[in-house]
Amino acid sequence: MNNMKRSIRRIFWLLVLCFFLLLGYIGKLVLVDRTTISTNSYNTRLRYVDHTIRRGDIVDIDGEVLATSVLQGDGTYAREYPRARMAAHITGYSSVGKTGVEAAENFQLLTLHNEFLQRIAAITTGKELVGNSVVVTVDMDIQTTAGNLLGNAKGAIVVMEPSTGRVLALQAYPDFDPNTVAANWETLKEDEKSPLVNRATQGLYPPGSTFKLISALAVMENAPNWQTRTYECTGEAEFENKVIHCYNNKAHGTVDLKQALTVSCNCYFAQTATELGAAKLKQIMERAGMEMPAGFDLAYSRNKIGLEAGSTESELVETAIGQGKTAVTPLYMAMLASAIANEGIMMEPYIVDHIQYSSGEAGKQTVPKKLTEIRTAEEAAVLRDMMVSVVENGTGSAAGVKGVTVAGKTGTAENATGKDHSWFVGFAPAEDPKIAVAVVIENSNAYGSATPIAGKVIQEALNQIENR
Amino acid sequence: MLDLLILLSRYLFVFYIGFFLWQGIVYIAYEQGGFLGSPYHAVSIQRRLIILMHITAFLILAYNRDTGIYDWKTVVFGGAGCIFLLAAIHFLDRFYYEGCPLIWTGMLFLMDLSLIMLQRIDAMLAYKQLLWMVLGLAGMLLLPFFFRLIPRFEVFEWAYIIVCYGLLLCTKIFGVERHGSTNWLSIGGLTFQPSELIKFLFIFYLASVFRKRVEWKEFIITGVLSAGVVMLLVLQKDLGSALIFFMTYMVMLYIATANEFLFLLGMGAASGAAAVAYKIFSHVRVRVAAWQNPWADIDRGGYQIVNSLFAITTWGLLGSGLTKGMPKSIPVVESDFIFAAICEEFGTVFGAGVICIFIMLLYRGVRIALDSKRRYYSILAIGVTTMLSFQAFIIIGGVIKLIPLTGVTLPFVSYGGTSVLVSLMMMGLLQWVCVYCEQNGVDEEAPPILGVEGGDTYE
Repeated sequence: MNNMKRSIRRIFWLLVLCFFLLLGYIGKLVLVDRTTISTNSYNTRLRYVDHTIRRGDIVDIDGEVLATSVLQGDGTYAREYPRARMAAHITGYSSVGKTGVEAAENFQLLTLHNEFLQRIAAITTGKELVGNSVVVTVDMDIQTTAGNLLGNAKGAIVVMEPSTGRVLALQAYPDFDPNTVAANWETLKEDEKSPLVNRATQGLYPPGSTFKLISALAVMENAPNWQTRTYECTGEAEFENKVIHCYNNKAHGTVDLKQALTVSCNCYFAQTATELGAAKLKQIMERAGMEMPAGFDLAYSRNKIGLEAGSTESELVETAIGQGKTAVTPLYMAMLASAIANEGIMMEPYIVDHIQYSSGEAGKQTVPKKLTEIRTAEEAAVLRDMMVSVVENGTGSAAGVKGVTVAGKTGTAENATGKDHSWFVGFAPAEDPKIAVAVVIENSNAYGSATPIAGKVIQEALNQIENR
Repeated sequence: MLDLLILLSRYLFVFYIGFFLWQGIVYIAYEQGGFLGSPYHAVSIQRRLIILMHITAFLILAYNRDTGIYDWKTVVFGGAGCIFLLAAIHFLDRFYYEGCPLIWTGMLFLMDLSLIMLQRIDAMLAYKQLLWMVLGLAGMLLLPFFFRLIPRFEVFEWAYIIVCYGLLLCTKIFGVERHGSTNWLSIGGLTFQPSELIKFLFIFYLASVFRKRVEWKEFIITGVLSAGVVMLLVLQKDLGSALIFFMTYMVMLYIATANEFLFLLGMGAASGAAAVAYKIFSHVRVRVAAWQNPWADIDRGGYQIVNSLFAITTWGLLGSGLTKGMPKSIPVVESDFIFAAICEEFGTVFGAGVICIFIMLLYRGVRIALDSKRRYYSILAIGVTTMLSFQAFIIIGGVIKLIPLTGVTLPFVSYGGTSVLVSLMMMGLLQWVCVYCEQNGVDEEAPPILGVEGGDTYE
């Protein structure tokens, strides 16, 4: 019966192997995949509340406090936001539910570092239990400048570091005062201007002419002779059943790609798009990361691509000039500008720099992560030069900063509900990009009103970075 | 203060399970001729560890955080559980004199864990579970007497498979749907899972047939009948049980014939059948999709598995501490997903310890199969051992997303009357083989033909 014994032994080892697979996999789950899995926003455990713990602070990169907890007379903690509206869309609120960093880092804010020691100290000396603090990448000086420039205009400003994806400033208006969210909840919730919506990450706008950056990439990729080919712009062009006009029906004359981008010639891009076809353009849009989840810490909307392989010609030409059904978030446009500045590599945006333990030690640091490569470094460089030309000789001159080469692209997005939205996306200094910006102003009166704001934001941000 | 104690208790629980396993190693080492300590000592330490774990856990569970006083109901129930454990230790030793003590302690450890976790999740379930455990224990203790009354129960092979099919068809016709599977029968308000009951019969049937020479005829008949059982289970959407029955059949056939080719062929056929099932049944596709990428459909298909992964990963190696986690956010946490709840509150290190206890039980079961002097009992023992081990593997594997999720219970731990009853009876059978089989006579069967060689009584 040795055969039977041998079989039994083999089955035994087979099953032991199965159990070892379990052990190995569970080890991998908790040692390797832990952060990726547990920080998913669907994890209800991240939203737990513990009123006996003093919630950690949220501070900016220079240590300025954006949110803190204060012990009240009755032994409970009140959450205070010293910068109130100025950082509202970053901190979010923690009262009637949670948003912003308060929601994203709830778990960290309530995690006790060295819990054991803290608990013993709490019992023996009555010291408070203090959660970890969250240090955000935002620089409140740039954030304040952006906030003041935006003023009471509906819209958003995003400032980003191109090489890492760090968000340096993130403003959106209308905003709210996180200190009084609970008290004003009913009015805030009903408010037609939806102040609780973070337009910088959740607002979806037609990109207008800023989309031509992607159209230009499509031309470079698919038309080998793009450097020599020219187009005769008469101010309007007819397609299928759609007439495309250049702004103010201005005839730009003979334009090549660089010219067309500089003067933002609609007819050129509409015409080249029909030659490429919808499938090719859509492919470039996908490669530019438009459909990718940005993996951002704060709540954000996904862009909408309003183009299919079988779209009609009118849909195609509209998309190519940034009209039509395609819609993007200001966050994405800042990512796109950053990618062009960063040799074609799009980084994952992030706003939490690191965790700081209550003892003052620095904890887990966010490591910049590559999201995707939108184009090669060479093509990104060509596009960058064209964007410099936009600011130096074209529609973006108002974004110019003295002594700095700014690269950018303006946009005016028609919209059904009222006056056009004004866009500017760009980065500076062009030769060694330190910052990228995206500015959108809703229903702006003046043509290109986003452009001068962007210029001032760039100037201030560069100053701040230099003074560091 | 309590928070501090809970924090400390996490280390204590890891110590309990670690030391428990270590004592198991001490015992096995002695058996193998090494010496790490006294084996009798080791078993008695294991028993004390179970009681200690029980007391520690119920002291934490009974404290009511809101009122700051101890909840007497929980204390009483904890006491009842403690008495049950002590009684089980006492009686099992008596009724199964010289049964394998590691199997008892391992089993009781898991049962205690079940009571603790269920009390944590829903006290009502814990009460019922304890009731079922008492019944199961009683049945287990009566098992030796029962077998003494019917000395040659292997001759009823046809009866086993007929009852098997009868129960399955009843479920198919009168079955009630629960958690997506139509595998429940309801008689006079009492619901039970026939797929659990037939496990017993199925093993008996196969062992009875395989005790004789396995010719092509036996091979084909058992093959067809087992395939029928598996098919019926698949039709009831009870994929987990189908998988368990298939594996049990393959393993028992392999043991009986020692024919690797047949085993691999069977595995190949099963892969083909699985591919066909994937094409035909939408519920199979749903399960596979939820396994491949649960993140794509978190709200519906992937909900369970994603929540289970959250539970396992959020708190790290030592867990949140008993009562501090959120196991209730996982659907059916009390039965299929109880392992995730254990990992959440006791930590993944403890969870790994639970897997090691299953390895220990597997080892002891295989030991019994190897030491058994009669072919029939050997096959019975290996059938029971394989079935329970494989069941533990597929549910833990499903919960941690190693394999697609198939809803079966974690033996001894998950809530479920039929499951507890049948798991306990199967352990009783295994121990019975260990204790009593040697008293029975000699087999009369000739060696199987499909195997290279074989025999009835060996050594």
